[in-house]
Amino acid sequence: MNDHEKRDFQAGLEAEVDAFMRGETTRRTFITRFGQMTGMLAASGPILGMMTDWALAQQKLELADAGSPLGQAQVAAMKASMEGPADGSAFRAVEAAKAHSGVTLNMTYEAGLQALDPRNFSGPMWEQLTGMKSNVVELSNPDQYSKAVAEHIAGSGAYDVLDISPAWTPSLADGGVIAPLDDYIAKYMNPTDLEDYHPLYKALPTYKGKIWGFFDDGDMFALYYRKDIFEDPKMVEAYQAKFNAKLGPPKTWEEYAQIAQFITDQMAPNVYGAGHFRKAGSPGNQFDFLQQYRANGGKLFGDDMKAGLVSDAGVKTLQNMIAANAASIPGNNELDAVSLWAAFLTGKVAMIYSWPPSGRMAANYSQSATAINFIPQSQIAGKVGYAVVPGNPEHATGYNKALSADSANPEAAYLFMQWACSPPVSLARCMLPYALRDPYRISHFKSELYGALFPSAKEYLSNLNNSANVGLLDPIMPGAQDYFLSIDRMCTAVWAGADPKASLETAAAEWNETTDRLGVDSQKAFYTEFLKLPGATADNTVEKLGMAVTL
Amino acid sequence: MQYTATVSRMKAAGAPPRLSSFAQWADRHFKWLLVAPAVLLILALSIYPLLFSLVVSFINYDFQVPGHGFVGLKNFERVVFDPVARWSLLLTAWLSGVSVAIEFVLGLLVALTMVRSFPGRGVIMSILIVPLFISPVIVGQAWTLLLQRPFGPTNYILTQLLGQEVTIGWMTEAPWLYVSLIIADVWQWTPFMFVILLAGLTAIPPNLYEAAELDGVNAWQAFWAITLPHLAPMMLLALTFRLLDAIRMFDTIFIMTGGGPGTRTYTASYYLYTVGFTQFHLSQATAGSWLFLIFTALVVTLLVRRLLKAEPV
Repeated sequence: MNDHEKRDFQAGLEAEVDAFMRGETTRRTFITRFGQMTGMLAASGPILGMMTDWALAQQKLELADAGSPLGQAQVAAMKASMEGPADGSAFRAVEAAKAHSGVTLNMTYEAGLQALDPRNFSGPMWEQLTGMKSNVVELSNPDQYSKAVAEHIAGSGAYDVLDISPAWTPSLADGGVIAPLDDYIAKYMNPTDLEDYHPLYKALPTYKGKIWGFFDDGDMFALYYRKDIFEDPKMVEAYQAKFNAKLGPPKTWEEYAQIAQFITDQMAPNVYGAGHFRKAGSPGNQFDFLQQYRANGGKLFGDDMKAGLVSDAGVKTLQNMIAANAASIPGNNELDAVSLWAAFLTGKVAMIYSWPPSGRMAANYSQSATAINFIPQSQIAGKVGYAVVPGNPEHATGYNKALSADSANPEAAYLFMQWACSPPVSLARCMLPYALRDPYRISHFKSELYGALFPSAKEYLSNLNNSANVGLLDPIMPGAQDYFLSIDRMCTAVWAGADPKASLETAAAEWNETTDRLGVDSQKAFYTEFLKLPGATADNTVEKLGMAVTL
Repeated sequence: MQYTATVSRMKAAGAPPRLSSFAQWADRHFKWLLVAPAVLLILALSIYPLLFSLVVSFINYDFQVPGHGFVGLKNFERVVFDPVARWSLLLTAWLSGVSVAIEFVLGLLVALTMVRSFPGRGVIMSILIVPLFISPVIVGQAWTLLLQRPFGPTNYILTQLLGQEVTIGWMTEAPWLYVSLIIADVWQWTPFMFVILLAGLTAIPPNLYEAAELDGVNAWQAFWAITLPHLAPMMLLALTFRLLDAIRMFDTIFIMTGGGPGTRTYTASYYLYTVGFTQFHLSQATAGSWLFLIFTALVVTLLVRRLLKAEPV
């Protein structure tokens, strides 16, 4: 390439970059030409290796068409990272992170779809912006806890950034596995970004007055129902005649079971009233029991920290769940979350409650990614309505990004976390079709770009926000895994015919044993801390605390 | 210089050179030095973890309870007094016993059928042993797809065959969930029995059968008097190997039932996995593993002792 050709090429490349930043559809040309340039540099000297590697690294970055809502969100994320505003958390993180260029961050992610975001999008983009590489360590959900602890005990410094369930925060913080972020936040973050979290999620990483991570996945359960069935005049008329009530999304669990049974009676075997993921370990039982039990006024623990399960609320909850099971699709108790989605998407089930990807899949948005093609194409796109789960929906686990206390590059790791969870970048990540990251910031719920992802996306976002307003949190305390496991065993035993009262007693005995093992006083202290969080009980929701977010 | 001269004089005198004390020691222990790397490797990879696990079972090693203090027999006590542990041990014995018994009978029948040559025998044998090469996780997933309602075709096929609606919960209703687990195990491991027993059958000298035929012995008598005694060592070998594997049953349960409903399909392996890797009570799981090892060792000792005694007639 002579000087003249080089000048022309550089001018062309700049034009491509500008066009890309303007959101025009020239990404592929840009990457191709950049690759060509670095390829031609092969003959020009020692810079070859580094530049070629860099160019290849760029090609890992998967960007949507810049004209699409996702593409626009990605462009906006890149602009916010490169151009500012100067006080934005994304921009400040990138500017500070350039000093750590060359560092490799080891990041744990749940194996599978969750890990595709850092592999295909946020990791390569971060590398492009800062020169920092990322090594994604895929782990199963339980291993995201156990491996983090094991590596901490070994002092290996194997991980820099940890994806953890909020329920693990007290254990990991007290165990010295994760580090507080307060100093870094004061130094680098725009404090208004903390105010952008929905109030249900804002306090989740806070423990003993310190911030131990950034909340990063709004796993709020919501109700998804078939509008075409619920609005069918014949069905409405029949329901009115039978129950003297209007057919609509249920407001109570009794009504839920009643509507499910009604639809099953009217439409089976073509369509059944409801479906649930009830298979042992799936883990729908624990979340469903916890949301219904607390909505029914049940207390998890008494003042003496004895399990409160053996109560009228406990029996009522199990009876309601049994009634719902009876009204559901055959094999309801054998379904896991994916099978339930398959049943709903193929039109066999009239209503489900599950995690937010349900809505994106029902609209056929998720299936646009090949990575998620194990989910069937939706046959109900455009026919799905959204409602808040009767009573109070469960925020079923979620994720925090936490900083490993053993990280050799804690500042670099923190800066990645701040950048990835900043409003513009987290929005683009939540909008990825294959990602299981669900909206959690107020700006996500209000986003015009997200609202344009599929025809009913605005309603979908609004419903998720409304659900969070009255949502309940999983217990955040040590032993959470043990408590959850006991509930799962209890529920599946009941589905197989065991007596509800006796099963509640067995589960309560297991809870008490867990509490004794971990220390009654210590557990009581953790539980007291948990009860301070908005959403810890049905009497303490965001809405009841007067903090509800209205879009 | 002086040393070299001394050695030269000694060589001239026909005496071996005098070695340093280390060289003498190395010379004496040369054979041990040769095996030392392998021994160290074994110690590092198996003995050390074994001893460490023994230590762990007497201390607190729990990802939820800080510290590693000595707790005596507490971990063992937790396992012994855990009703789920006792149930899982019983279920392990029952499931493995029934599965291996069925596999043995089926394997023997197939081996007796296949011992004689017939057209297509090679192809059928190749097809029969395919399940052996499939990962148990895949086997579990495949049977789940066949049996799981509402998507699995099994109930539909049974309905068509029986002429009345079949609504069996193959993975949630007793006793069908045990039937499902046994079917999956038998499907995968009957070929193992078949291959070993076929090898044993082909090793029986054919002249014994010829002599028996001349004496007017019928097929049933030949089986009892010739086949069974000659095959006994191979039978015991196959049963021992299979039983040792079957008592570790985990993968298919993990995929097909998730241990449920309740704890009804908790085998010993599944129980230990749950305690160790779902609840993170590692020291309790380790103590349970040692107890399980003791039970297994008792069974193995009995079987191996019998195996060593067994000789063809």
